[in-house]
Amino acid sequence: MDQPFALTSDLKDNCLVIATSGYVNNVGGEAIAKEFTRHFEKGTKKIVINLAKSKVVNSIGMSFLIEIIEQLEDAGGKLVFTDLDPAVEKMLAIMGLFKYAGKEPTVEDALRVLTSRK
Amino acid sequence: MSAVTNHVDLAKSSSRLLAKLFKNSKIDFLYRSQNSSDWQLLVDGRARGLEQIRDFLGDRNQSSFSLKKTPIGLCSASLMADDSLFAIALKSPSSRAKFSETDKVLLRLFIYLLDTAYQQLLHRRNEKSLIFSLNHRVLQLNSLIDTGIEVSKLDQSASLQQLALERAASLTNASKGIVRIREGDKVVEESFFPDRFSTQAINGEQQTIATSFKFANRAFTFELFEKESRRGVIPFEDTDQMLLDALARQVHASLENRFLLEKELENQRFEQDMAVAAAIQKKIIPIKLPDIAGYDVAGINIPSKSVGGDYYDCIPLGDGSFALVIADVAGKGVPAALLVSSLHAYLSAYLEGAIPLSQLAQRLNKVIWRASTDDKFITAFIGILKPGNGELEMLNAGHNPTYLLRRDGSVQELGAVGLPLGMLDMDFPYQSERITIEKGERLFLYTDGITEAVNEREEFYDVERPLRDFFLGHQPAQSGAFIRELITDIKKFTGSAPQSDDITALYLRRLP
Repeated sequence: MDQPFALTSDLKDNCLVIATSGYVNNVGGEAIAKEFTRHFEKGTKKIVINLAKSKVVNSIGMSFLIEIIEQLEDAGGKLVFTDLDPAVEKMLAIMGLFKYAGKEPTVEDALRVLTSRK
Repeated sequence: MSAVTNHVDLAKSSSRLLAKLFKNSKIDFLYRSQNSSDWQLLVDGRARGLEQIRDFLGDRNQSSFSLKKTPIGLCSASLMADDSLFAIALKSPSSRAKFSETDKVLLRLFIYLLDTAYQQLLHRRNEKSLIFSLNHRVLQLNSLIDTGIEVSKLDQSASLQQLALERAASLTNASKGIVRIREGDKVVEESFFPDRFSTQAINGEQQTIATSFKFANRAFTFELFEKESRRGVIPFEDTDQMLLDALARQVHASLENRFLLEKELENQRFEQDMAVAAAIQKKIIPIKLPDIAGYDVAGINIPSKSVGGDYYDCIPLGDGSFALVIADVAGKGVPAALLVSSLHAYLSAYLEGAIPLSQLAQRLNKVIWRASTDDKFITAFIGILKPGNGELEMLNAGHNPTYLLRRDGSVQELGAVGLPLGMLDMDFPYQSERITIEKGERLFLYTDGITEAVNEREEFYDVERPLRDFFLGHQPAQSGAFIRELITDIKKFTGSAPQSDDITALYLRRLP
């Protein structure tokens, strides 16, 4: 049985690192978007979303992720997903999220990629 | 993606353009969605747009496009393709400066331009929504196939149902789900997703879809609750029900396949056990009986398909005597074959020690009891024959009576005098008997595979054709001939009915 959705966030090297656990659905997606907006409005444009503890994502949750990607794209920012379960990775790929967002094995890898971006 | 993606951005970029056309004018952009009566001030250029639009429209519904001078300035409102309204309010930099007719034409042209841009925005939005929807359908199909493969691989049935539930919930955008397994009315197992919840709090049939199947006297029910959307909970669609049905069918098929596989493996193990048991039995049953001077002895063992635990032998002993043995283990298969093997080994060892037959039986009783499970025991007839004078010391431990045909034509039954070997863990006092087999007399030992042989009508051989009568009625010159005639008679009786138990017999004739 999965756990209820929960989220933690941390600022590292000017990058927002959001780590989720549980079902990324309407509730989960909205929570991610809210946390993103809070930091985005303060100028943070590099985001890492660690989905290690989220094995299930639905399309409503994905629609929130797409909106984040669009906002970052317009602002010249970048989103990188990390620690993806193979099933989740396949879902995000089919939904076309990796056309505009990156994916890395770990948060450290993602931070390395984002901080090397000019 | 860098193109304008929403009406707010469209208003902002349009206001910058309009500011170049109406230099020094104050400009407001307003928006009202199709389902709302409230205006939103998207761009606040301090043109008092909300006041102007109220003066301009009042309570009237906007039909398409209009433009009007207001007490404050110039206001234009346009009905867009999706029934929303865009309004632009201009206020001149000073009260003395008035908007000209040219300004009105200019604003009208600008509104047309805005309308076109908004249509493109809607088109892009629809296109994006369509692509998202198509991708989601591809995702659903892909996930359905993947789940089918995954559930066929999983070892634990609990994780199999949990996986199917998770996939069903995510593919249908259900907020939660449950799998219940019932035996009769009793719920024996429950799996929740994403976590435990109470179904009592959920109202409305449209908020639930369910499917169920039965397997191995259990009813499996999958239920999903509250289809999510960005606007809140919406009714499930037909395709959601189809997806849930398909995933449940995959679980059902996987459970059935696993059951059939386990059954097949069990059959294979059983066949292997039977082969082992048959090999053990084959090694123990004598290929050829020893020659006994003054006697003619013959025996047979026909194992049944399921391999029983029959045993017979004629063992030459050191002092010139011979041990005649016939035994039958309760049960079949490897356990019975192993017990026969134990009996054979212990019997051979004890016979070498030349201990009294009653003591031998007591020892066998103990070792067989230790070597067997509670439901296993051995019925046996053991006789020590001194060929010279025909003396037979014998002991019947719960076995069928042995027949002795006397010279006067009478048949003596040598019945059981003790409990089967290994039945009880106690020092049961087995008593042996002594008889003498005179010249011309015949001894017949057999197992219940003969007396209880059944025909197609499920009649017993011994009931329909008493074995005692056959023994009395068939007195061929050679022991081997008796055995052959007996087997022929049994097969004639049983016909096409399958052999249910081992058939074993030992026949000894003292030559005249």
